[in-house]
Amino acid sequence: MSDKSINRDFFSRLNLFIQTHTALMAVFIAIILLIATFIVSPSSLNKVFFGNIILLTIILSIPAAGQTMVLIGGGMDFGVGAVMSATAILTTYTMRGQNGHFLQVFFIAIAIGAVVGLINGICSVKIGLPAMIVTMAIANIVTRMQYILTDGVLSGSASPALAATVSYRIFGVIPAIVMYAAIIWPITFFILNKSRYGKQLYMVGNNPTAAGLTGVKVDKIRIISYVFSGVLAAFAGILGAAYMATARCQIFDGYAYDSLIAVIIGGTTFAGGTGSYAGSIAGSLVMILLSNLLTSFNLPSPMRNILNAVILILLLMLYNRSKSVRQ
Amino acid sequence: MGEVICLLEMRGIDKRFGAVVALKNASLTVKEGEIAALAGSNGSGKSTMVKVLAGLVAPNGGEIFIDGKKVEIKSGTDSVKEGFATAFQDLSLIPTMSVKDNILLGCELKTKGGFVDEKESRKVVQELLDRFHIDCDPDDYVQTLMPSTQSMLEVAKAVFRKPKFLLLDEVTASLHYDEIETLFGIMRELKAEGVSMVYVTHRMNEIFQICDTITIMRSSETITSGQVSDFTLDDIVYYMTGAKPKHHEGTGEVSAEDYTDRELVVDIQNLSIAPKVKDISMKAYRGEIVGIGGLEGQGQSEVIRAILGAVKKDGGSISYLGKPTKYKAPADGVKAGIGFVSGERNNEAMFPIRTISENIFAGNSAKGKLFKFLTSKEVKKFSQDAVDTYNIKIGKLKDPASSLSGGNQQKLVVARWIAMKPNLLLLDDPTKGVDIHSRQEIHDIIRDCAANGMTVIISASDTEELMDISERIYVFYEGEVAAMLAGENKTPEHLVSAMMGIKSSEKEVE
Repeated sequence: MSDKSINRDFFSRLNLFIQTHTALMAVFIAIILLIATFIVSPSSLNKVFFGNIILLTIILSIPAAGQTMVLIGGGMDFGVGAVMSATAILTTYTMRGQNGHFLQVFFIAIAIGAVVGLINGICSVKIGLPAMIVTMAIANIVTRMQYILTDGVLSGSASPALAATVSYRIFGVIPAIVMYAAIIWPITFFILNKSRYGKQLYMVGNNPTAAGLTGVKVDKIRIISYVFSGVLAAFAGILGAAYMATARCQIFDGYAYDSLIAVIIGGTTFAGGTGSYAGSIAGSLVMILLSNLLTSFNLPSPMRNILNAVILILLLMLYNRSKSVRQ
Repeated sequence: MGEVICLLEMRGIDKRFGAVVALKNASLTVKEGEIAALAGSNGSGKSTMVKVLAGLVAPNGGEIFIDGKKVEIKSGTDSVKEGFATAFQDLSLIPTMSVKDNILLGCELKTKGGFVDEKESRKVVQELLDRFHIDCDPDDYVQTLMPSTQSMLEVAKAVFRKPKFLLLDEVTASLHYDEIETLFGIMRELKAEGVSMVYVTHRMNEIFQICDTITIMRSSETITSGQVSDFTLDDIVYYMTGAKPKHHEGTGEVSAEDYTDRELVVDIQNLSIAPKVKDISMKAYRGEIVGIGGLEGQGQSEVIRAILGAVKKDGGSISYLGKPTKYKAPADGVKAGIGFVSGERNNEAMFPIRTISENIFAGNSAKGKLFKFLTSKEVKKFSQDAVDTYNIKIGKLKDPASSLSGGNQQKLVVARWIAMKPNLLLLDDPTKGVDIHSRQEIHDIIRDCAANGMTVIISASDTEELMDISERIYVFYEGEVAAMLAGENKTPEHLVSAMMGIKSSEKEVE
């Protein structure tokens, strides 16, 4: 009996700790996964491994930035994967392996992301449709457009110059994509923590009624969060294309779920009003390390996916928290 | 009369919600076929008494007897079993269901085969609607009906259950004159059938019109009870408030000369907001603390929110600094230099999971360029200053706001706005559920600001608070200004009688 109660006490304390230090917990889980990876396959302890982990984490952290904003504001964006795929295809289709189309690709991609985000925002915030349904439906349209553009055929590839800005290893280890992270991470941090917009976003997510009565334009703030999400996903799509060189339709669709889970592991909640981008970056690292670890087991791919899902569900259970109760 | 057994008796009922005492040794007796009025001012516990009988609130102590037998009412089911049916003030109808389904909810008529008997259902519901003169189809959805029709329906639903005891909690608040007549007719019929009724109201004339006995509550306690015929209007008001009402002539609009030297900040003319606000005109001058008094729900909140732009007006005009306002959202009002403090801090003011610092800075966050760089230093200084100036008791600035006590949360919300130096500060019952010490501190802060030229409009349900803080008081009754009290007219007695809607004309009727 007493054993059981001690156990329960331990778990409830662990649970409390996890819930109050979510970002730190994500880092902690990442370290465990890293150690596990070295135990399972010691040979992976090399430059290439580290480079890849950094590169993939950064790519995931970009749509996760938008997802973090949307979730803090109390929304949800299931469309980031489709936007990434679309701009990846736009990149390879426009560049066709030639240097020199970067600005053109960049501006069109950002415009696509902004428009999709705006539509998502207006439909879910202004019109009041459920965010999950709307963002999925819009994502579906974005996906179909990829097929219309390419006929479903693999065509073109990212320019070598663009690919180099992502995959080139500085000192043979650090991928060049850190340059992009050096721009996007601080900007996201600024938006969430140092700008009025960020402060309003947290207020809106925590208590929209109070935010409105305090003078915040609640709808506008929420819609902007979707636009940010669309734009960031669009940019991530370009980098993704640069990394993969070629892009087929729906290539990055999985990022919708991956970014969502990464953000939640990082401590942002569906209830809104809380979360941090640092947590989301750590959450992205967890996602990448976990998938990498499972790959090193040499399991058939369906088994790997099932295992991945099971572990994620177990992880998320640790984060299970009820919606913040107001007396 | 000693041999008449009380059909329903509540004895020594206690109820505490946390530290808040809602009922203290409260009692109520009702005989068969009697209409018992339950009267009391805001928060006196009358609705809680009804909820105890309806099985919604479990008392901490006390006994309930029916027919001399002790009963336990632990749930809504128990309440129905003992023969109670309740028409609630805030309605128990399901908006997305039809009139018929609402009325028959839980007592659906079945055919022999066990299916719902549609034909019979329609017939009985139509009969009920006819009896109540409710003009709607049994298949209409409740949400499409007028508020007054919904209230009638709420009563009809309760009556349909053929109760031994009918509990009516302020059901006439949104009813029209003819509907009230219909209702009273039905109440008399039920009375003749031997149904006992508990009738909660704050309309004094209704008590004299329909009730046999009266039980008066004040500050969670039963103060007195007896036959209505033994009470005068002034007696009832005295027992409800502890102050003798004084009748005075006219509403005493202060002559314009007194204010010619002061800038008119808010000028409201014939404002109407359906359904509660009918015709409100009021003014507020620079550096003045204007009180809005009245029983709960007389339109105070709506008027205050309309000034801010949080509620759309249906008619009339609101001018701010000489210009008519066209605010689409509170954000427009805030931009124009208006601050708003709500007494409903959990729902309308606090960001409980955000830090104390962020909560204090919220008004500043809401106003200004969206992507301007804010340094932590700036935010911290702003909040630390507010904490120091307004003496808010906190742990650390980084703690979540939910860690503060109610009084300190409210001080925080007031400080949030005052630190923004608004031109006009609106406060809607700002010291609701706030301890007396914090209340005093909040009052001091408000007075200080008014002295420095801020215009303050404050609504409060507490008469003492209003008397204490406001220069002039507009008393709302049924969506209209019942009286404007200023100078010598501003006495607790006048305030109380105006709150009860007692006008000089009614005195003559007495």
